[in-house]
Amino acid sequence: MNRDEVLANAIDAMVNCDEKRALEIAEKAIAAGFDPVDILSEGFSVGIRKVGDLFGRGELFLPQLIQSAEIMKKVTGVFESVMTKEAAEKKGKMVIATVEGDVHDIGKGIVISLLRTQGIEVIDLGRDVKTEKIIEAALEVDADIIGTSALLSTTLAGQKKLEDELRKRGLRDRFKTMVGGAPCTQRWADKIGADAYGEDAADAVEKALALLGKG
Amino acid sequence: MGMAITHAIASGMGGMRTTGDLVARMQMTKGMKIKEAKEYVANKLGVSVVDLANEAVARELREELNLGLVHELDGYAKGMEAKFRIAKLLGIEIKSVKNFIERAGL
Amino acid sequence: MEKVFTRMGDASGVWLSKEEVRAELEEGTNDAADRGKIPPLTEEELDRLFDICTRREKFVSVEPGNEVVVTFDAGTLKMVRVGVPVDRSQAILIHERALGSDTMELAHIDYSYKQIKPIAHDEKYYMEQAQLGTVIPLFYGAMPNVGLYTQPDGPVPNWSELLPMGKITEAQAAQEEAVEHAERDMVYVGSKMYEGGADGINFDTTGASGDADFLAALRAIRALKEKYPELPIELGMAGEFVLGMHGELYFDGVRLAGLYPHDQVKLAEKAGATIFGAVVNTNSSKSFPWNIARAVTFVKACTEAANIPVHVNVGMGVGAVPVFDTPPQDVVSRASKALVEIGKADGL
Repeated sequence: MNRDEVLANAIDAMVNCDEKRALEIAEKAIAAGFDPVDILSEGFSVGIRKVGDLFGRGELFLPQLIQSAEIMKKVTGVFESVMTKEAAEKKGKMVIATVEGDVHDIGKGIVISLLRTQGIEVIDLGRDVKTEKIIEAALEVDADIIGTSALLSTTLAGQKKLEDELRKRGLRDRFKTMVGGAPCTQRWADKIGADAYGEDAADAVEKALALLGKG
Repeated sequence: MGMAITHAIASGMGGMRTTGDLVARMQMTKGMKIKEAKEYVANKLGVSVVDLANEAVARELREELNLGLVHELDGYAKGMEAKFRIAKLLGIEIKSVKNFIERAGL
Repeated sequence: MEKVFTRMGDASGVWLSKEEVRAELEEGTNDAADRGKIPPLTEEELDRLFDICTRREKFVSVEPGNEVVVTFDAGTLKMVRVGVPVDRSQAILIHERALGSDTMELAHIDYSYKQIKPIAHDEKYYMEQAQLGTVIPLFYGAMPNVGLYTQPDGPVPNWSELLPMGKITEAQAAQEEAVEHAERDMVYVGSKMYEGGADGINFDTTGASGDADFLAALRAIRALKEKYPELPIELGMAGEFVLGMHGELYFDGVRLAGLYPHDQVKLAEKAGATIFGAVVNTNSSKSFPWNIARAVTFVKACTEAANIPVHVNVGMGVGAVPVFDTPPQDVVSRASKALVEIGKADGL
């Protein structure tokens, strides 16, 4: 198999949630001397983002998404055993929460599953989380990104509150911020001064990686 | 609230201002699509389909048949009274009317 | 170049050239066709939609004779939500006598069948009382809300916690158990309300908790129809496709996850629903022409497939209505007209 074939097979194995095949491809790629980081990021990672996209279209379902995430963990484990310490390091740390007053977290859970497969360490603070608690957690774990989700037009203001509070405390430049949720738009992100807007799970991953300078 | 009113004005039958409640009852009780439901009601009332949402025509019909009005209420059928007549006119069962008959011992 | 005022899906205004409007319409219909595996709108339909989107009037409406029935999900809650302190019987009469509503819905502030169960007798009494003074058809409505059966609110393990841990089988088993509970509660409350004189039962925002939610509603409808064959039932959806939280749930041999409106309505019919409430999500980052072309494409496929009336959901964030608390009348009226006259909706 040449590189392109390995990548195509890796993507296909992820989309089909085929654990056995995914692990075989990983082993073969290592044995053939391919760059582990390249195969992971251009093959398996692309595959799982495709799973996220198909989920967003109703063509794949949550169990498959979770299953793919589990396969991704195992594949990553295989590659990490041969990766340099530097390459195997987490790409960044992200604190994520649904804003205060909002108890919706299905979408957030999906975003988290995908982010974790991309080598981002995610600290999930849950739902209906106060702004103060989000900031405290981000400081405590020394997060790179703070992500907030809001499903309701009435709770969207929680994302602005975070931006205002970060500015007030002189912490705005310490973190990158990301926003998402049904009523959220790029226009809203620009208006409140967030660094990125994730339209769906796959987009959120792209944007997070870009914010970390890994995209 | 304003959004619901926008839809009602842009596309709605007009409720009791016209014959919207009657057409709705045919969709609900018989699962009729809008065309069939309107034709059924128009036939029962002896008017054209277009006139079902014509306030001037519908007002006179509702008054004449005593089907419930939104104005000049004194002396005309209200609530349950109007529904007795609606059930009879449309040839359908209205559950609350049936309950009333049973409980009143009629 | 002449520009047309329209809006984005978040209600913000935007000026587009006529060429851009046309391109947005085409992109929107093609997106629906691609996702739903249904035909895109024809050139003639796109021309009509283009006309609706680019007319100079602020408010547009259907042509005389094209009017449809409007229903009001969560009807009696709406007044309270906008801060008008009227009780439910007053809200019903305001809709009937002042607003010209074709139908109305009695609903409890805690809008889920599970929460209604312990107070069903009070709700039944309220329905009986309301029916004495109401002329227009009065639904009783609530949501299946299968998620409420999970811990800590309910008896079954929480699948939203199990799934991220990779416990797929356990999460699926929990959902299956929740379906049983939800079906039982919906049949119980639905029966009470119908016996109290409800003109119909509304299962609103079905599928909000995924495919288990949809299955519970379908099974409850089937059970209620077996019990009361003459009972009118409206089944309204939560989103444009059934979210596969479980992924392997079937009704009459059809997998529920991933179904779009034109397939959902066939199952609604099989279960015994009398009216189907189709939903198409509004994308807040896309333009109104894009969203309405997409919504009309899905709705048209649904009404063509349906043998029962289809009432399209056109509240905030669905049916091309912007995701905004006070959706502007210019685009709301345009969505209304387009969904009725091109999508062939039987009601809204």
